[in-house]
Amino acid sequence: MSPIEIGLISVVAIIFLIYSGVYIPIALGTVSLVSIWLMRDNFTLSLNLLKVAVGDSAMEYSFATIPLFTFMGLIVSKAGLGKDIYEVMTMRFRKVKGGIGMATVGANAVFAAVTGSSIASASVFTKVSVPQMLAQDYNPRFAVGVVAGSSVLGMIIPPSAMLIIYSFVAEQSVGDMFLAGVIPGIMLAVAYVGAIWFMGRFTPGFVGGRVVEDTEWMSRREIASKTLPTLGLITVVLGGIYTGWLTAVEAGAAGGLVALCIAVARRSMSLSTFWDALLETGHITAAILFLITAASIYSRMLGMAGLPNQLQDMLAGNEATFWVVMLLYVLLMLFLGTLLDTASIILIVVPLFLPMIEAMDLSLIWFGIITVVGAEIGLLTPPLGISCFVIKSTINDDRISLMDVFMGALPFAFVMLIALLILIQFPILSLALI
Amino acid sequence: MLKTMLNGLSGVANKMAIIANAAGTLCVLGLVVILNVDVIARGVFNAPLKGTYEIVQLSVVFIVFLQLADVVRVDRLTRSDGFLNVLHKRRPKLTANLRRIINAVSAIFMGLVAYIMFPEFLHMWETQDFFGVPGVFTAPWWPIKLVIASGCALSCVIFVLKVITAQDRPQLVRIPEHKEPTT
Amino acid sequence: QETISAVVIDGYPARSLWVQEFTDFFIPEVDRRLAETGNYVMDWQENYGGSIVKPRGVLEGIQLGLGDIGIVTTIFHSSKLPSQGLAAVTPFVSSDARAVARAIDEIAREFPTMQNEFAAQNQVYLATGVVLDSYQVFSVNELSGIADLEGLKVAGAGMNLRYLEGIEGAAGVRGGLTDFYNMLQTGLVDAAQLWPEAAATFKISEVAPYMLRTDFGAVNSKTVTVNQDYWNALPDEVKEVLQAVAIDYRDHLAGIAMDIAAASEAEYIASGGTIIEVSEEDRAAWANAMPNIALELAETLNANGEPGTEMLAAYLAKLEAAGFVGVRDWTQP
Ligand code: NA
Ligand code: NA
Repeated sequence: MSPIEIGLISVVAIIFLIYSGVYIPIALGTVSLVSIWLMRDNFTLSLNLLKVAVGDSAMEYSFATIPLFTFMGLIVSKAGLGKDIYEVMTMRFRKVKGGIGMATVGANAVFAAVTGSSIASASVFTKVSVPQMLAQDYNPRFAVGVVAGSSVLGMIIPPSAMLIIYSFVAEQSVGDMFLAGVIPGIMLAVAYVGAIWFMGRFTPGFVGGRVVEDTEWMSRREIASKTLPTLGLITVVLGGIYTGWLTAVEAGAAGGLVALCIAVARRSMSLSTFWDALLETGHITAAILFLITAASIYSRMLGMAGLPNQLQDMLAGNEATFWVVMLLYVLLMLFLGTLLDTASIILIVVPLFLPMIEAMDLSLIWFGIITVVGAEIGLLTPPLGISCFVIKSTINDDRISLMDVFMGALPFAFVMLIALLILIQFPILSLALI
Repeated sequence: MLKTMLNGLSGVANKMAIIANAAGTLCVLGLVVILNVDVIARGVFNAPLKGTYEIVQLSVVFIVFLQLADVVRVDRLTRSDGFLNVLHKRRPKLTANLRRIINAVSAIFMGLVAYIMFPEFLHMWETQDFFGVPGVFTAPWWPIKLVIASGCALSCVIFVLKVITAQDRPQLVRIPEHKEPTT
Repeated sequence: QETISAVVIDGYPARSLWVQEFTDFFIPEVDRRLAETGNYVMDWQENYGGSIVKPRGVLEGIQLGLGDIGIVTTIFHSSKLPSQGLAAVTPFVSSDARAVARAIDEIAREFPTMQNEFAAQNQVYLATGVVLDSYQVFSVNELSGIADLEGLKVAGAGMNLRYLEGIEGAAGVRGGLTDFYNMLQTGLVDAAQLWPEAAATFKISEVAPYMLRTDFGAVNSKTVTVNQDYWNALPDEVKEVLQAVAIDYRDHLAGIAMDIAAASEAEYIASGGTIIEVSEEDRAAWANAMPNIALELAETLNANGEPGTEMLAAYLAKLEAAGFVGVRDWTQP
């Protein structure tokens, strides 16, 4: 068997194993190990790849954002801030079908300006808005789907770890990439709100939710006490990043501390809930980063099989038009997105297509936005969709299965795909602010 | 007799996982503290701490591999188990065995990682290799390799115990994770 | 005719200067020379951009045989490859990439130290790559000279953070190349140490329009190495061709680095940047206010049983012979 054949068979094997219920990092790691063994007829070599990948994949400064923003989110939700802000934000939306869903999207768009990772968004809003929606009888699938879909905004609206990774691979200015992400991010948020309205109108069963009797309007004082702590927190984190006092990692730490102070001041934090928050942060971090490590073993195995090189040769051999190239690119990202993490997808596809995009005289900034949005659809698609996993592991409720999360996220992945096609057709959406 | 031994071993392994988990949890706390101290030292006193970057890198690895065994213990390692749950209703025995096989494969994988990382630890201990910039801040490699090796070894042991006891999901309600079920 | 396969690895993307020149110069040149006799033909498989290893992982990747030939970024490994730091610990001497590349490469061949360090990692030293002419200081606000750097926060990476110890009250802030634009833009730092090509690539002129020409000097950061087991199995003819092409690659790469540096400076000015010249007196004052990091390295090497002091002296002598004398004699305390 040729390395390419082994590479392709390994993809099938991984899908089979993941569907059979094998732990996903174990499936990725084991199949990669065996694939290299078969490919090179050298078991030591496959152990060596494992050694290198496990050794350095988790050791990344920016990965510290994962525990830090997770911690902040947990403290915020344990302190009840999420509940408060939702009560205020949903006050006017109560009578709108899917109103809390819309509020979730809006809040996520704001939160996206504070976090660089969709993982943080997913874990925070799973804690903050899913319980609210379930309490109002929303369909659990819709509730988790909204959170999954809107969590993607975290890595499109700047700051964003993925925009940074792209700017490194394609040698574009990070500042330009950040600016380019603003309009597409807002556009996607608006599209989500539109989609929720549409679903509420035409598929009310999927949305769910009960009609809430008119309650008394909150007093100004009450509104202030429910919103100011959160606004203060956002000011520290957002303001910290934009004024330059803090890097994203430091903003996470400062945000965690401020959230903690708020919680203590409100007497909603005992030593044991504090410890639980730290503990859960650790569990989530370990589960996510171990998965990322395993995904990195897998993408290195593909590299050794020469799959990226083969693909490049295949594409270079054909004269292709703009839309043929772009559709191929989107399909490839969707395909890789089923199994690989966003960073791996970017690292694999961008080098493949970059020479072609340059030759076609297209903007590399625009291409970066296409890449990040396209690769992030994979966060929502099974069998490996990191955002959905985060939600599943954060929610920790056996009544909601991983399947439910994926099914709920599907309409939002579809909206993303439409938005992606619009972004491809109209580069000005990405380039207007530069 | 065998059963008592197994219970004893399982108790020890679980205790170790919980201790490692507590250490990892303290790393999360340490991360929050050191970054805040650095921000204040830099912003207010114009004197950033040296080595924050390396310490952050180090803590991320520590958090992951100190917590890993406990994540395995409480069965929160990422998986898509819809099929297993469906199968469980019809063929509980078969499902239990399937879970055993999956846990056995996982034990082998974790064991392999521990097996290849442990010599790395010994080597780094001997050579005292470090990372960082000499004169600014350096940290030795060996604690990282040790934590990865022992975290994976402990995970391997816990997977092996799951194979033997066929207890994949010790309790269905898992929060708070370290309190024993009261009923 | 025998076919020899070679897996080339680097964690940096294929568009990086040294990787691109490996593809466009090193590989065709080896193929061409082997074709002269026709005894051997190479089958190259190139894996860049993290497809097998990350930038930091090349050394280990070659050691473990994940790649046969690799481009090791030596600044990540000051513990395993201490002698590779020679150029970094001797700032203010030469901003000529060609001279520094040649001097380091000759030290690698004349002293056993560098080759021993790589041998301990199961690999064979092939060539030194210098990809930048000099670090300079890029500032957000206009500076009249180095005295204005006092009390500022300056971004850097690796050994150049230690250069700041020569400036009163200056605080080094660590960051990666891709972070610098943001750090400058947001005011996290007041200035950053970068080389002109990187400044042009990341459009630093937009956020730091003043370049202080400190001319810290060229620094070797890349080494082409070959896995020891792979090397042992290679026929002598191929070994000889690889070694000869390695020297040409060294000079070719350094030459391109100099051309690009000149073009990048022009681009910096064209996009609104201003270059501020620094007097020799200022440079000397800075150098003399620094701790002697060169002697620190020499002593570290001596303590390892390597001829550190001699290597330092020989390296500086080679640069002097090429016409570059530093503003401070780093061999003296
Ligand atoms: Na963001
Ligand atoms: Na996916």
